[in-house]
Amino acid sequence: MRELKAMIQRDTKLFFKDKGMFFTSLVTPLILLLLFVTFLGNVYRESFENFIPAGMEVPEELLEGFVGGWLFSSLLAVCCVTVAFCSNMLMVQDKVTGARADLTMAPVKKSTLAFGYYISTALATMIICAVALLACFLYLYRVGWYLSAEDVLFTLLDVFLLVLFGTALSSVVNFFLSTQGQITAVGTIISAAYGFICGAYMPISQFSDGIQKFISFLPGTYGTALLHKHLMRGVLDELEGAYFPSEVVEQIRDGFDNNLYFLDNKVETSTMYLILGGSILALMVIYVLLNMGKQAIRRSK
Amino acid sequence: MKNMIEIEHLNKSFGSVKAVQDLSFRVKPGELFAFLGLNGAGKSTTISIMCGQLKRDGGTVWIAGENLDKNENKIKSSLGVVFQNSVLDKSLTVYDNLLNRAALYGITGRAFERRLIELSELLEFKNLLKRTVGKLSGGQRRRIDIARALFHRPQILILDEPTTGLDPQTRKAVWNVVEKLRREENMTVFLTTHYMEEAADADYVVILDSGKIAAEGTPLALKNRYTGDFVTLYGVTKEEAEAFALPCEQVNDGYRLAVENTAAATQMIVKHPEIFRDYEITKGKMDDVFLAVTGKSLKGDEES
Repeated sequence: MRELKAMIQRDTKLFFKDKGMFFTSLVTPLILLLLFVTFLGNVYRESFENFIPAGMEVPEELLEGFVGGWLFSSLLAVCCVTVAFCSNMLMVQDKVTGARADLTMAPVKKSTLAFGYYISTALATMIICAVALLACFLYLYRVGWYLSAEDVLFTLLDVFLLVLFGTALSSVVNFFLSTQGQITAVGTIISAAYGFICGAYMPISQFSDGIQKFISFLPGTYGTALLHKHLMRGVLDELEGAYFPSEVVEQIRDGFDNNLYFLDNKVETSTMYLILGGSILALMVIYVLLNMGKQAIRRSK
Repeated sequence: MKNMIEIEHLNKSFGSVKAVQDLSFRVKPGELFAFLGLNGAGKSTTISIMCGQLKRDGGTVWIAGENLDKNENKIKSSLGVVFQNSVLDKSLTVYDNLLNRAALYGITGRAFERRLIELSELLEFKNLLKRTVGKLSGGQRRRIDIARALFHRPQILILDEPTTGLDPQTRKAVWNVVEKLRREENMTVFLTTHYMEEAADADYVVILDSGKIAAEGTPLALKNRYTGDFVTLYGVTKEEAEAFALPCEQVNDGYRLAVENTAAATQMIVKHPEIFRDYEITKGKMDDVFLAVTGKSLKGDEES
């Protein structure tokens, strides 16, 4: 345990002290914020207004609560994965710098090193996501708060699970990397692509049928949808009760990924949690097997 | 324990490249053992195998009385390695680096603080503890590398070209520490180096060429076997020096003649005492041994 604690402390400190790694991890959320401030906010507002039946008015607070809920659920969904990827790059950097050889000179189990990377990545990502979540709650409180205590708790759970998912996914992907060039390439691809394929940059419903089908097979999509659901449910319930007919609200839910469909079947919230949890477990098992396999290969060499 | 390191018939290939071929050698406790060879000779491969970082194709490895196949972790506890390039975390302070690495050996709390004081006095880095490793000079960083390798009191210190790129003063300081450790703690030192003068101070030298042992022995035995002696005559004319019909070169204030061995030099003195008014007899250098054995020269960190 002492060894694991030392590894976690080292890895976490390195992430926050390495300006390159730390700031790179914030690039994607910052881009998203920038896009929102410059034009995405207006696009969402207009999209939402398109759903409003003629002659009906919606209070500004409700509109801003809706747009803010969408923005921050997207931002958090991206953050949980991209920050995890950047933080977990330490695993690769240690190979590049030779630190890995030095660490393995000590009589510690390889699994201790592997779990050290995993836990420290999860920890660092959670710290950053917790700050983002706090910012999200403060923003929503200022523009329009419609969250129940249950929503807040479920949002916390969503972020927690997505961080574990991002960490597990990055552990498996980074396991195969060993050069600085690969680090840069993977970092760029993840930062650029993940927001699209998880349904964070724009609602999945706006993609073509083929892409929608493809995205529905990716587990990260369900994590994003859970966040959308819990950060927007209050607003949509309020709309449904006081302003719009149920059919209209259901259309909004479909249009903004609060409802997700897998091969035309609506996916229940509990199923989304099962998919996310199952993915984390599966990725963890793959990570453990990869580490065990590497040791076995090394022994047989 | 008769031998601190015993390696028998070690083999390792990378695809079609035979990095190490049937390598066998022994290192006695407290010995300064030097491994010489050009890049690609198999030095680092051998060290990586000894440290459990790389698996071998064949052969046996015993370190500190333990078989590498059975007690890898025990062996790791008995080894301290100073890598060719510093592998400490550059963004962290010296203190944090040593704290983390020591914890991997189970050294924490007061035991850590006590050992830190000992090593910071031995290697004179007390004033560097709060500095980040990335901001240290090459010499300062090397001292911290050595401290990291020594933290768990290893029986064997492996130095992989430890002084490459360091200024002469820092090199001397590093060697003073190594000598002190050998003297006071009977530590075995396994050295790979490009500096011939460092190898000349070793107790035993193995010269590797293309993964095989090309020559081995004490520096004196190697010099006697692979190089002759040199007689330098002072206060003589060029004609007098050349009259011996031996390879001759002019040096400061005199002429240097290459002779077969010390006995041949003695005979020359007995036969021509009138010429030997002011002279000296010296052995060949390790550079000459390396050149004679491998047909390649190796100077400092340059190959030619």
